[in-house]
Amino acid sequence: MTNPSEHVMSSSNSAERLKSVLKSTKLYWGLVLLFLVGVISSPVSSKGHNIFLSFGNLSDVFRQISVTGITAVGMTLVILIAGIDLSVGSVLALGSVVCAMLLTNEGWSSAYLLGVPAIFLLAFLLVLGIVAFSIKVQQRAVMDAGTVAPSRSKLALVLAVIAALAVALGVASSSEGKAGVLLVLLVVPAVGFMLGTINGLIIVGGRLQPFIVTLAMMVAGLGIARLTAGQNTAVWPVYTGSNATENFEVLRSLIFGIVPVPGVIFAGIVVLFWVILKFTKFGRYIYAIGGNEEAARLAGVPVWRVKITVYAISGYLAALAGILYVAQYRQGKPDAGMGLELDAIAAVVIGGTSLMGGRGSMIGTLVGVLIFGFLSNILQLNNIDSNTQLVLKGAIIIIAVLLQERRSSGWLFFLSQLWTRDMSDKSGSNQIKNPQGPGD
Amino acid sequence: MNITRRQFAKWAMATTLIAPLAFNVSIADAKDKYVIGFSQTTTVEPWRVQFNKDLEAEAKKHANVELLVADGQDKTEKQVADVENFIRQEVDAILISPKESAGLTGVVEKAMDAGIPVIVLDRNVDTEKYTQWIGGDNVVIGEAAGKYAVELLGGKGKAKGTVVEVWGGLGTQASHDRSDGFHKNTDAEPGIKYLLDKQSGDWKQDQAYNIMATALRNHEDITLVYGHNDPMAYGAYLAAKDAGREKNILFIGVDGLPNEGVQWVNKGELAATFLYPTPGAEGLRQALKVLAGEKVEKKIVLDTEAITKENAPAILKANGL
Repeated sequence: MTNPSEHVMSSSNSAERLKSVLKSTKLYWGLVLLFLVGVISSPVSSKGHNIFLSFGNLSDVFRQISVTGITAVGMTLVILIAGIDLSVGSVLALGSVVCAMLLTNEGWSSAYLLGVPAIFLLAFLLVLGIVAFSIKVQQRAVMDAGTVAPSRSKLALVLAVIAALAVALGVASSSEGKAGVLLVLLVVPAVGFMLGTINGLIIVGGRLQPFIVTLAMMVAGLGIARLTAGQNTAVWPVYTGSNATENFEVLRSLIFGIVPVPGVIFAGIVVLFWVILKFTKFGRYIYAIGGNEEAARLAGVPVWRVKITVYAISGYLAALAGILYVAQYRQGKPDAGMGLELDAIAAVVIGGTSLMGGRGSMIGTLVGVLIFGFLSNILQLNNIDSNTQLVLKGAIIIIAVLLQERRSSGWLFFLSQLWTRDMSDKSGSNQIKNPQGPGD
Repeated sequence: MNITRRQFAKWAMATTLIAPLAFNVSIADAKDKYVIGFSQTTTVEPWRVQFNKDLEAEAKKHANVELLVADGQDKTEKQVADVENFIRQEVDAILISPKESAGLTGVVEKAMDAGIPVIVLDRNVDTEKYTQWIGGDNVVIGEAAGKYAVELLGGKGKAKGTVVEVWGGLGTQASHDRSDGFHKNTDAEPGIKYLLDKQSGDWKQDQAYNIMATALRNHEDITLVYGHNDPMAYGAYLAAKDAGREKNILFIGVDGLPNEGVQWVNKGELAATFLYPTPGAEGLRQALKVLAGEKVEKKIVLDTEAITKENAPAILKANGL
């Protein structure tokens, strides 16, 4: 989190430097500690090896975290701008339904009613964005050097061709009227993107609380998913090979028999958004808006555009996770994502991202998701009964968040201050907070 | 202005309350068309969907029946409001499949007080004030499944094997009944060992998948999986399949829905499933009996049936699949 070198000035001796390093990396120590608990408590197989540490088990964990993990990535962006997205569970469920229907239904179905406009919206916004971008670049080039940058202006065309090719490939991958994997990967996330855009538009346009807007979308999303699935269908089963294309199995396969594809997709998304947050202007805008929206606006940050984009991304990723859900569990259903939004929020918060916005990181979210995944795995391996598991999970969330507490002595400090809280003035507590840059 | 409006509201309420009392008998006698209200818990569960299909199919057979279906959306409050609505609409009979016993007892009594016969389906309410109860018996179903499991594992007295039991929910009676019935038969066998300690998959295929995935890592020897419903047994099967071990494990489920369990049994993925019959069709038939003035039994327990590879094709055919 903080760069240790920043502290060299203030902490002259090495002990304090060590302390600050430990403090800034405590998130990882929590994960390491949990991992050690896993190793020590793990049952041992008949051949004498540690089951928790076996590649197979770690591969299971990696796969199990991917669905929640992907939505948690989107949630991180949303929480960084001091927002919240409660609709991800419903969007995931809708994604799973649309995905299952596209795969198993021949020809036209209600899934296309959502899919077609969604794909057009996504394509339209992409083209609009690219054109606006290339015009801006051109203008700047003209202003800077008085020459036109032709390479940039062609970018839009190239990307449009690529998009058209992707759609063509997607359609070509379909057979007998049933959608292929590529088409599903194009259409389903677009549906999530559309709902996310609606979330963003209402939040920005109506100046409403994201909590209430996304709550409404959570309720409406469940309804849309059920309407899409049809009144008499609780579950859309997907049997690859008999009613859906066998290629779909790629999305749950293991590379080299050990690395799960959903996990790889999750890792790829984490890396992508880590780069975006850390190295792009868009990423900086997100932190700026979360830190102080008014200041960001005055500084010329296109606040509303960034906000809508963030909610759209969150929806996109949730629906993408819905595809992986279908691949893994061979079914799409309207109540698939119930409670998922809370898991995603918990993982983000455990990862040190502040619900107040402006502070946090993608790596933190990765660690938060891993902590959650390992915890479930350890409890399951040790055969702890389901009710106790829930209690322990709740306890771990609190402990993890307490560890994240930025005050040096954490909750011990809090206990000691409890009695004198009324007397301690505000400036005192402000001194303890040290300003910290975003990202790792 | 305010007072008159309030008075008007009072009047309106009084009339709606008194009207059914005053006219109920005469209207019911004069009718050649019966309006029957059905309050369902939720429609996002496959078993409930089948339930509704059975009921609606039966209703179509009777030209004099108009069926009103209300979906409680898995909320007790909503279901109470649904039934109150039926009372207001002065339906001729109410069928209800309660989400939970305690929460819906009051409104069932209220309907009975209003002179509307109530037939309770599946889960019962905590009162004797209802016309009839129809449902399956989960203990009996669990026993049948347990007996079958003992046979699969070597027969009475000789059965040997390790069993993974995936619970539906630790807080639901159905799950406890299905477990108790099963254990009645399997606990008598010294050779049968249980591997997990009350792991709940919340009736869901995906959660059972993850429980089984971990169990497969943890135990090299699993002979039988008992899922408290078919989707969980199938989820466990998928986990075993993904681990390449499905051939050595037997899977038993409960519910036997044509679209799910029976299909999976037919494909040989589940060894057997035990029918948990929906009381939909029987409920409507009994309601018409009540309306015709016949005397009906207070309780009807529906039978279970073992569905295996032998009778699965016939059941699929009967359901047009």
